[in-house]
Amino acid sequence: MSYRATRIIRAVLIYVILTLFAAIMLFPFLVMLFTSLKTASDTFSYPPRLLPTEQVTVELPGFDRPLPLYYIVVESGETKPMALVEENIRVGIFAPLDAAGRPDVNNTVIRRFGEVKVAGGATPKEVVVGGQAVPVYEVEVNGAIAEMVVLTRTVFGRFINPANPNETAMANVRLSQPVTRVTAHPENYAAVVNLLGFDRALTNTAMITILTVIGQIVTSVLGGYAFARLKFPGRDQLFLLYLGTVMVPFVVLIIPLYQLMVVIGWVNAMPALILPWLYTAYGTFLMRQFFITIPKEIEEAALIDGASRWSILMRIFIPASAPALATLATFTFLYAWNSFFWPLVVVNTGNTRAQVLTLALNVLRGRASDSPNLILAGAAIAIIPPTIVFILAQRYYVESVTSSGVKG
Amino acid sequence: MISATTALPSGRRRDRAALTVLTVWHAALCVLLMAGALATLASASALDLLTIALAVVQALLALGSATAAALILRRNHLGRTLSLVVNYVLFLACLIGLAHVLGLFMGLDDLADYMARGVPFLMGALFIVGYFVAATELRERPVPVARRTLGQVLMTIGAIGFALTAGVVPALASIPGKYVSSGLLPLALTAGAVVLGYMLWSMWRGESARAMGAKNIHSERLNGWLFLSPNLLGFTLFFAGPLLFSLYVSFTNWDSFNKRDWVGLDNYRRMFNLTVQPLAAPDQPANQAMDVQVYDELFRVNLLGQSYLIGAEDKRFWISLRNTLVFGLLAVPLAVVPALLLATLLNSRLPGMRIYRTLYFIPSVAAVVGVALIWQWMYNSQVGWINYFITSAVNLINSVFGTNIKDPQIRWLADSDYALLSVVIMSAWQWLGFNTVLFLAGLQTIPRELYEAATVDGANPRQQFFNVTLPMLAPTTLYVLITTTIQALQVFDQVFIVSNGTGGPGTSTLTMTLNLYQNGFQSFRQGYASALAWVLFVVIFAFTLFQFRRQRRASGAYDL
Amino acid sequence: MKTTYRLIGLMAVAGLTLSACAAPVAPPAQPAQPAQPTQPAATEAPAAAAEISLRWRTRPDNKEEADVYASISDEVAQKLGIKLTYEPGGSETASYQDVLRTELAAGTAPDVFWIPGTDIADFVQRGLLLDLRPYANATEGYSDSNYYPEPMFHLTYNPATGKTGEVLWGLPRDVSTFVLYLNLDLINEAGAPDPRELAKEGKWDWAAFKEVAEKVNALGSDIKGYGMNAWWGPFGAFMNAAGGGFFNAERNACNLNSKESLEGLAFARSLYDAGVAVPYGEDSEPPFRAGKVGMFQNGRWATPGISTVTFNWDVVELPKGPSGHMGNWLFWGAYVVNKNTKHPEAAWKVVDALTQPDIQAKVAARGTNIPSRVGEAVFAEFLKIMPEKNNQAFLNGLADKPTAEGPLWTGSWPDFDKAMSAKVSDVLTGKLSVEDFGKTICDEAGKAFNK
Repeated sequence: MSYRATRIIRAVLIYVILTLFAAIMLFPFLVMLFTSLKTASDTFSYPPRLLPTEQVTVELPGFDRPLPLYYIVVESGETKPMALVEENIRVGIFAPLDAAGRPDVNNTVIRRFGEVKVAGGATPKEVVVGGQAVPVYEVEVNGAIAEMVVLTRTVFGRFINPANPNETAMANVRLSQPVTRVTAHPENYAAVVNLLGFDRALTNTAMITILTVIGQIVTSVLGGYAFARLKFPGRDQLFLLYLGTVMVPFVVLIIPLYQLMVVIGWVNAMPALILPWLYTAYGTFLMRQFFITIPKEIEEAALIDGASRWSILMRIFIPASAPALATLATFTFLYAWNSFFWPLVVVNTGNTRAQVLTLALNVLRGRASDSPNLILAGAAIAIIPPTIVFILAQRYYVESVTSSGVKG
Repeated sequence: MISATTALPSGRRRDRAALTVLTVWHAALCVLLMAGALATLASASALDLLTIALAVVQALLALGSATAAALILRRNHLGRTLSLVVNYVLFLACLIGLAHVLGLFMGLDDLADYMARGVPFLMGALFIVGYFVAATELRERPVPVARRTLGQVLMTIGAIGFALTAGVVPALASIPGKYVSSGLLPLALTAGAVVLGYMLWSMWRGESARAMGAKNIHSERLNGWLFLSPNLLGFTLFFAGPLLFSLYVSFTNWDSFNKRDWVGLDNYRRMFNLTVQPLAAPDQPANQAMDVQVYDELFRVNLLGQSYLIGAEDKRFWISLRNTLVFGLLAVPLAVVPALLLATLLNSRLPGMRIYRTLYFIPSVAAVVGVALIWQWMYNSQVGWINYFITSAVNLINSVFGTNIKDPQIRWLADSDYALLSVVIMSAWQWLGFNTVLFLAGLQTIPRELYEAATVDGANPRQQFFNVTLPMLAPTTLYVLITTTIQALQVFDQVFIVSNGTGGPGTSTLTMTLNLYQNGFQSFRQGYASALAWVLFVVIFAFTLFQFRRQRRASGAYDL
Repeated sequence: MKTTYRLIGLMAVAGLTLSACAAPVAPPAQPAQPAQPTQPAATEAPAAAAEISLRWRTRPDNKEEADVYASISDEVAQKLGIKLTYEPGGSETASYQDVLRTELAAGTAPDVFWIPGTDIADFVQRGLLLDLRPYANATEGYSDSNYYPEPMFHLTYNPATGKTGEVLWGLPRDVSTFVLYLNLDLINEAGAPDPRELAKEGKWDWAAFKEVAEKVNALGSDIKGYGMNAWWGPFGAFMNAAGGGFFNAERNACNLNSKESLEGLAFARSLYDAGVAVPYGEDSEPPFRAGKVGMFQNGRWATPGISTVTFNWDVVELPKGPSGHMGNWLFWGAYVVNKNTKHPEAAWKVVDALTQPDIQAKVAARGTNIPSRVGEAVFAEFLKIMPEKNNQAFLNGLADKPTAEGPLWTGSWPDFDKAMSAKVSDVLTGKLSVEDFGKTICDEAGKAFNK
């Protein structure tokens, strides 16, 4: 095999594997999007369908409501779309008795109970089958009357051919395949918004996220600059302490933080979702790592020119650190937008004034437990904005996610 | 800068007067703060931690103020530092207090009320985002003047519209009213802030600095602390303080309503209280072998023919510990190994790799709550996609190979044998892309020459991977492993959603964090829950340390 | 240029922060202004009473119900001449009670709130509820006997003396009980006997129930005969029906290992072993509503959701077990008053008003609840609500010696439930035998009593 061929095969293989994984990574989101456009009953269909569909109906003269269409196998063996005109028709499956007095299961016929009558007239005729006395019916088969017994009772639907209303058929409705067409129900989104005040949750989440992002950028830039460029006693020890905090799980803080909110009186209110998160060891670390790479000479020249530390930070450092700022902003955005544990503890889920999206979703899954389409529409509302932010910012974000971590 | 020698005598006199004022101020402040500390102690009905802390802080500030006064008299530059620190801390306290009293923080809720009325807020939000995007874009390429002007006009209109619709104007107008209605406190705090602000300015001035003999290095120190102060405030208030308090709570039986007694190590004792009893027969009932008033049966084990019964006082703690460890042991490899494979493939410099990279990353930006809801639906055993795929695959294999494999019909989240695994798969899926990107970045830092050298030495791709890639990737691998492990051991959102907060079915998805939540916020055993949190901290710390150590041993050359 | 951008940006941020300072809109949840001390007479005088502002909360099961509560709130407010704010509270999945406790601890809880019956003891013992007895005694026309006696037993229980009837912790919002929701299409298709007919003839027992379930189950591999959800209610009903139950008669010891309780559990297990039931742990409501389950055991609260299905449905009472009773539950929850309310008198009036027949009828009309009051007039009114044909099934359940969903006054119900539900789940999914369950369960669950 030539070198070129090997390379092509290798490339194809790589693409196949990558595409497979891409499908795995994206499929749940596709399920979310398509399910959120379905009707509730459509979500329960099996085998599952990705696209939202609905049953096709026809208007027929003589019927006051639209009739659902099903694919029905008619007597000729053909499968035709037919309209369901009557449901729950009680029918029996009748079988003649064979020579041994047992029902002949190979020659069964289906008849409505109204079409048959009990044999024997005034004294109903009975035969013993399997140790039990069962009534015998007179059933018309191909113009002739035969004596038969009931094998089972069930219910059927009556279908007519919309093109030829004289052609009718009887079949089990549940097992018949409905005629469907692709549709979409974007009004699910409006329903979700109305159901739980998702609009308020969206506003709150957006506001919390933006304020947290701004606040974290301010504290991190200032702190990062101090750690990177200013000498003061205790700086290095403090920095190590900051680094150590990354290891402390959030749950250790949750009870004291909650109690702190109780003391201040912020339980159930938005400041509890913003102010404790304005400080971030991670962001300080990220900005410090970035500021350290900026040449000292520029700063020294500015100092000699009489510039204050503040103006150096604003005029030299911040303009130069757009990628780091974008990374920090994206990180904080995602964190603030998606946080769940802390809001769950500190905000009452019924309090719509301080509701955030994740909490609203948690309530929604209970209140709309019977409508997966609505739940997933809610999930989409929560998931799509951060995805858009990420795609816009990924140029910076993905590339510098690692730079800080790997170095440290 | 103006040199000291050119200063006019009258100016110098004024400087001296300012320093005298500062000395008097600090002396007075000392008295005021001591009185405040005593008043705090006296007014408290019960000596709780908060009162004591408040009094101690006031006393410390009083001490600082007194020292500052003494040092200013001696023109010692430390006096300036101390004076600035004390005044700055009090200044911040006044501002925060003022904000609190005027309801500025709680006002965020009201602000949201206004904004929720529709588009205006979104407009404002877009405008702010737009500003930042524009601000960053501007650095990279010149924008035509016309477009820039248009942008400015649009932004100005947006800002004005936003201010009008979001209720900024009436909000500003109502501030004076708040002063009137809230009594003396806001006025006092404002006055305090003004006086403190003046004192700060007075000491910060270059003239005072020179008079106090402060040098450049001193002002750099002050700048350092000043720049760090917002950060440090958050660190102390919302991290270090709560951390210490959490440790204290873990030694109490606090129920967050009325009980808060010191119980020493009792919470930890209860958690780790185990009993091991030999059994006469492997199936001997537990109540014959151990004190079932105290212990619950955890599991039975057969060692060298002798059966033992292990019981625990808090069974749910041990179960949650096991679940957490199992979760970590399954989820971490599942989220790391495929990530390494994908990163290696993505590193192959073929076109379109960026798109794949972005696609892989998307799950990790989605809210865990939302993702859990999607997966919960896909896991549905009757109409869910996952079972449908399995059924289809089984049918395909059976029809192609003529085998007779039975469709497993796994009940994923409803079966206690599979529930944890289901959460593992869901979490690994979500973390995979993030790790892939981390690995990819690591791979791109490996110099090409190393591979070229290896190729020259006759190494095949497999050998290259194990002898070049893996060792060179060790720092990234360590980082990935540690972050993923920390995340895995704290798993909460996923299990809370799929089990409705119960940790069910049975106890199969009860993780340590969920157990903590149940103890702390359902049963309100906040003391015990704090102890659980510290144990979780120790577990995470131990794992991180263990990975560090192992990595060091494996690749001593890479100093981390 | 950049400076301009920065200036505008700063302006926006500053505006954002500053406007936070003020509350131009009167927010509904703003803490009440210091009000004048409440005198009974003050509620009559509108000018003085307008000062009273109360918040109340109950958990609605859907949006429509939340709207009904909101309108009721306005109606009560008008009647009493006070300001009343309704807060919907979270859903079942959003840990309603835990949130309430959190708020009570934080002092932000509403004045009047609803809690499920199982939580009454915990709230009382933590000292969170106000004793309403003095206010009730002063109210004309009030009597404990206006309500179902089972909830009133717990609502008037004084844990200090161990006697009932002394105090009053609240009034029941509503009651509920289990029925079997039937997919008549499936039952007809399977040719199974109609459970409603069997119930009328008095032949509706466990054997008949199992026969119907099996017949429906035989319709196809995706069809199940029966479904119940995984919590204590459904399996507890089987234990009760067999003559057993969770606790002894005094409700101070575990009774899960009694012969009768185990018999009930064994019967439930047999349904799962035979593959007749939707696997335990799986939510049975979606498949029922998708038309794939013959009989679905659930409470009144499921009615509005099920009424939207496309197949023919109805309800039937639970089948009678070996004890001769259906062993049903009487689920209940009560409106209670926050101990720290500023207006206890007004809060009681709200509780009283919320449980008046006309208000209860309005809520019940949504289909989710059964009024908590007893009496022919109430029953007659209730029977007019859907499903008209067979609403009696609910009243039958409530009349056939139901066990009250109950708090544990001498133990911790959540601890008991946690220990029990985990083990029962093991039994019903075939991981633990009923015998082994019986041997150990009371050692574990019994600990809930000696805390």
